[in-house]
Amino acid sequence: MTDGPLIVQSDKTLLLDIDHPLSTECRRAIAPFAELERSPEHIHTYRLTSLGLWNARAAGHDAEQVIDTLIEYSRYAVPHSILVDVAETMSRYGRLRLEADPIHGLVLITTDVAVLEEVIRAKKIAPLLGVRIDPETIAVHPSQRGHIKQSLLRLGWPAEDFAGYVDGQHHEIDLVQNGWKIRPYQELAAEGFWHGGSGVVVLPCGAGKTIVGAAAMAHAKATTLILVTNTIAARQWREELLQRTTLNEDEIGEYSGAKKEIRAVTIATYQVMTKKKNGTYAHLDLFDTHDWGLIIYDEVHLLPAPIFRFTADIQSRRRLGLTATLVREDGLEGEVFSLIGPKRYDVPWKEIEAQGYIAPAECIEVRVTLTEAERLAYATAEPENRYRHCATTRTKRDVVVELAKRHSEDQLLVIGQYIDQLDELSEVLGVPLIKGDTPVKERERLFNLFRSGELKSLVVSKVANFSIDLPDATVAIQVSGAFGSRQEEAQRLGRILRPKSDGRTARFYSVVSRDTIDQDFAQNRQRFLAEQGYSYRIIDADDVWQGKL
Amino acid sequence: METRSFTDYLRGLDDAALLRLFVLRPDLTSPVPPEVASLAVRASSPPSLARAIDSLNEWQYQVLEACAALNEPLTEKEIIALTDSSAKIVIPHLLEIALIYKSSDGYRLPNSLREVIGHEPAGLGPASMAKLSMKKLDEAPEAAEKILQRLVWGPPRGSVGDIRNPGPGIAWLLKENFLVPLDQRTVILPREVALHLRGGKIHKDPQPNPPIVTGKKVERPAADRAAIANISTVLRWCEEILNFWSEEPPSALRAGGLGVRDLKSAAQHLGVDEDCAAFISELVFLGGLAVIDGDDRVLPTHAFDLWLTQNPEVRWRSLVSLWLITSRVSGLVGRGDSKHIAALGPELDRVNAATTRKLVLETLLTHANLSAEIDSFLAYIKWRAPSRRNPGLQSELVAWTIRESEWLGITGQGALSTYGAAFILQEENLGVAQDLPKPVDHILIQSDNTAIAPGPLEIEIARVLDSIADIESRGGATVYRFSETSIRRGLDHGKTGEEIKEFLRKTSKTPMPQPLEYLITDVSKRHGRLRVGNTTSYLRCEDPALLTQILSDKKLDGLPFRRIAPEVLVCDLEATDAISALRAAGYMPAAESTSGILLNGVRLNRAKSKPRPPRIIGEIESPSEESLAGALRALRAGERSSKKQSSLREIASNALTALPRTTANETLEILNKYVKEQRTLSIGYADNNGSATHRIIDPLSISAGSLIARDHGTGEVQTFRIPRITGVAPL
Repeated sequence: MTDGPLIVQSDKTLLLDIDHPLSTECRRAIAPFAELERSPEHIHTYRLTSLGLWNARAAGHDAEQVIDTLIEYSRYAVPHSILVDVAETMSRYGRLRLEADPIHGLVLITTDVAVLEEVIRAKKIAPLLGVRIDPETIAVHPSQRGHIKQSLLRLGWPAEDFAGYVDGQHHEIDLVQNGWKIRPYQELAAEGFWHGGSGVVVLPCGAGKTIVGAAAMAHAKATTLILVTNTIAARQWREELLQRTTLNEDEIGEYSGAKKEIRAVTIATYQVMTKKKNGTYAHLDLFDTHDWGLIIYDEVHLLPAPIFRFTADIQSRRRLGLTATLVREDGLEGEVFSLIGPKRYDVPWKEIEAQGYIAPAECIEVRVTLTEAERLAYATAEPENRYRHCATTRTKRDVVVELAKRHSEDQLLVIGQYIDQLDELSEVLGVPLIKGDTPVKERERLFNLFRSGELKSLVVSKVANFSIDLPDATVAIQVSGAFGSRQEEAQRLGRILRPKSDGRTARFYSVVSRDTIDQDFAQNRQRFLAEQGYSYRIIDADDVWQGKL
Repeated sequence: METRSFTDYLRGLDDAALLRLFVLRPDLTSPVPPEVASLAVRASSPPSLARAIDSLNEWQYQVLEACAALNEPLTEKEIIALTDSSAKIVIPHLLEIALIYKSSDGYRLPNSLREVIGHEPAGLGPASMAKLSMKKLDEAPEAAEKILQRLVWGPPRGSVGDIRNPGPGIAWLLKENFLVPLDQRTVILPREVALHLRGGKIHKDPQPNPPIVTGKKVERPAADRAAIANISTVLRWCEEILNFWSEEPPSALRAGGLGVRDLKSAAQHLGVDEDCAAFISELVFLGGLAVIDGDDRVLPTHAFDLWLTQNPEVRWRSLVSLWLITSRVSGLVGRGDSKHIAALGPELDRVNAATTRKLVLETLLTHANLSAEIDSFLAYIKWRAPSRRNPGLQSELVAWTIRESEWLGITGQGALSTYGAAFILQEENLGVAQDLPKPVDHILIQSDNTAIAPGPLEIEIARVLDSIADIESRGGATVYRFSETSIRRGLDHGKTGEEIKEFLRKTSKTPMPQPLEYLITDVSKRHGRLRVGNTTSYLRCEDPALLTQILSDKKLDGLPFRRIAPEVLVCDLEATDAISALRAAGYMPAAESTSGILLNGVRLNRAKSKPRPPRIIGEIESPSEESLAGALRALRAGERSSKKQSSLREIASNALTALPRTTANETLEILNKYVKEQRTLSIGYADNNGSATHRIIDPLSISAGSLIARDHGTGEVQTFRIPRITGVAPL
């Protein structure tokens, strides 16, 4: 029995004691096959999943290595069943391969005829297959490459995809590192992606995912389609690419509600892609009209369901997903894995914070006690309106205003869900509000003012949850949100995580009505960040009034 | 004659040899035979011989077969000639176990041994009556050769179409006496011929040595590592399944045992397959840690609480010892042709389960450092203890035992562990306690509201934590999650918020995160804000002063009033009693209903509970008009009958000779008709034994498959079950 840093649980979770001297070494050793689930302050939780193990196989690790690693670092004896399971799971990978055959096109090849016989009999698989070429080989309709991978994965016989990628139309793209340098983890992420072929890179908000995208483009050196959440984000991608790469303005096109440019690098919004005209997706052609060498999905956790369907059809193109959290409230993580690709790179938030690439942040939950009248109104409200009731109380508004006053010297964002509440706050604070119907020009003007420091605070609705680039926001106050959404909380924190010039700690306030459903939602929202090691401090509204922040 | 000489042989044995015989054949001593003669009788009785034969290994049995194939008296030389020189080693054992014995002229077999072995030992037919010339065999025609090939290794019988009209091969063989006709259609190969063709040896495949067990080599330390993980896992499983049952006790099936669904949910709870869950269920059942309670719920016993306090080695040893000797076979759970065999049910006992387990463990002991391939293991076991009666079950028993040994940690990675070896050798110290991870006395609380116990927790701490947190992950360590519900559970169990915080502060190595502290404070603040209790009546008054006066009134002293709010008192008296007591003391209370309406009518004393009249015993139904009329008719008929007795009897005796027969439908139709017409009927009525009797009745009414009628024979009103009425005819 060793005294290692790792405890292997019988439910296939791995607990890593990070205060142990060997923890860094161990983390590195298990990272290829175990997925990081939570990384709070003392013990990190990893999980052994079939996907993770297959991923490791794909990266050239074999079961013996995995088992040796587990045994070497394990504090207690590793349950035998887990070792057996690891070996068994990993042996399933690679028995089926998708290959490009010069004569028959896309084919499914097996090293184990029994497995092939099993899968071709599956109802979901049979219609995707063509003629049997020989006992070990069967043709696959080229258009079904994504579907067959998806279905095989669900059957537990993942196919190794050797069919390769089309290179796409060549286009010279390089990073221009003048006055800035790509960070080591960004480079690792881009390389991890490139070697894997396709996949998802998970990096904290504010850790520079755009650069990872740019680096990936520099690897691909091909025409690129970038899918982003909204127009603002599209413009920011454009700005970033102009600044960081050799691309010039004519080479980058925007494909949105407003403009329909198709250039060597085209940035399209999810909204326009999923827009229906006469019942069909009118802009779907964009995937096909051009010989893209790379498709980048920004904020992959928000990817709308129709895009998944398109993605299944374009498996021969390289795909890169970018996100801060793979948590999808709709549980479609599996689709992301099978269609865009497995997770290629992932690093705990706190580790990047320790390297100084994202600002340290303090999360504070401010508990507001409602007045009797407010409590009564809340208690008698219809269940569907309850959250709105408690999230938008007058008492809460007053606390927010007081908090904002106390941070009047900082770059401050007030973020909320309900427009009337934000209107009111904007009025009381005398601060402009950015919401869904704010014209893009006006938004950009306000953002620029805010960026330059002329404007100290902004009230923003959920339209600005994603991809807004506010370099110097140091304080954020969250007044209401989309119920218990964990990823929204993470995204909002991300707004203030860009490193500050003076190395200051950012502050994230979440104002919550005590003893209401608001508090329950807050708890759920905080879970993801808490699992990333951000510990929330709870203070009372009275502390705000007394200036004890 | 022979028996006597067997008796003589036994009589001639010295004490040591007799003792040895008793060790090898313990059934001979229960009860202890009064004298050697009766010992001899018992030792040569078929059941005892069968038992002795069962204890032989394959080679010993083969040698015994050779003995049975020889004519008595037999010599060692003859035996060796038929078998192999290594039979020499076996003969002393056969002597010891008294399956052969020495008489003055050589070895002999006890009576009945041939019967037990069968009359065709090793597939050899009877000795030939005629003189045979084996040389002739070489000249056998091809057809005859084929037939010989088929019969040579037994069974020696073959059937032919017709012995009088045999094929050319058979004809030749019969002519040469190489085949002997048994009856019209059967021929048999004489022993000598078979032996000759077998080349003088009686077995095609003599097995003087056990088959070699093959497998993967596993070093002891690796086996131990795996085994200790298995041991800690199996102990945890036992604990968890019992805790699970204590929270949600499954109901035992009516036939006894655990239902499929309950087994499944237990399996799910443990995260194991159903076979393993069945094994664990049986294990705790064996250990008396769980029992099927009087109300058919499966619940942990007090023994479980005691068991938990013991050290893991004792816990493990107690379970494994019971597992080793039980006749219950958990592997059978889920089997069964018509119905499912249930865990904890009555159908799990198998006679040779314990012996097989013992044999498997012995085999493991002799093959340490080897993770055996199951087929070679089975072959070995088959050699050691050939099971002639139910070889299928034996292989399954072996496979199950190997699987269970792994679960129990007797083996690790398939090879015997130090702990398993120590257990089999019954050593005092198994080494389990030393090698299991040491219990830890602390946890690490993290800011995501989880706490991690980085090892097995001390039982007291684990119990408290179980009550205030939910377990999220189990194994070497335990991950607990705190939530509102879990904290509330802790408060429900009588802890205060402060106590919980104090406990966590004391137990945690890391500082308690503030959100958790708030969570506990919040929940405990809200906990119990709403109070619920029982009361019989209440007093309410808009003037608190009046209530205060009542509370301090001397005249009402001793009445059970309690103030629960300024304007409300509760009282354990009935409202009416409270009112009269208050009135007597000079107050003017008014009664109100549950909905708060003032009751000012005259209050009568009434019982509070719902009416529950005693159940009417017997089958008297409320009389309908018809039945009243019927009753009257019956009365009249009774009166008449005394007069008409003689004529009726005559009719009856006539009827008896021809009992009315009607079909079921007709019966009902006729009955309905005559009930209305109120006629006297003659019916055939089957009694409990199915024989029909003849009755003369006056039908009164029909209800729910029964006819109520007055029977002339007994003069009583009686219920007749309509399906039993074989026929009806009017008189």
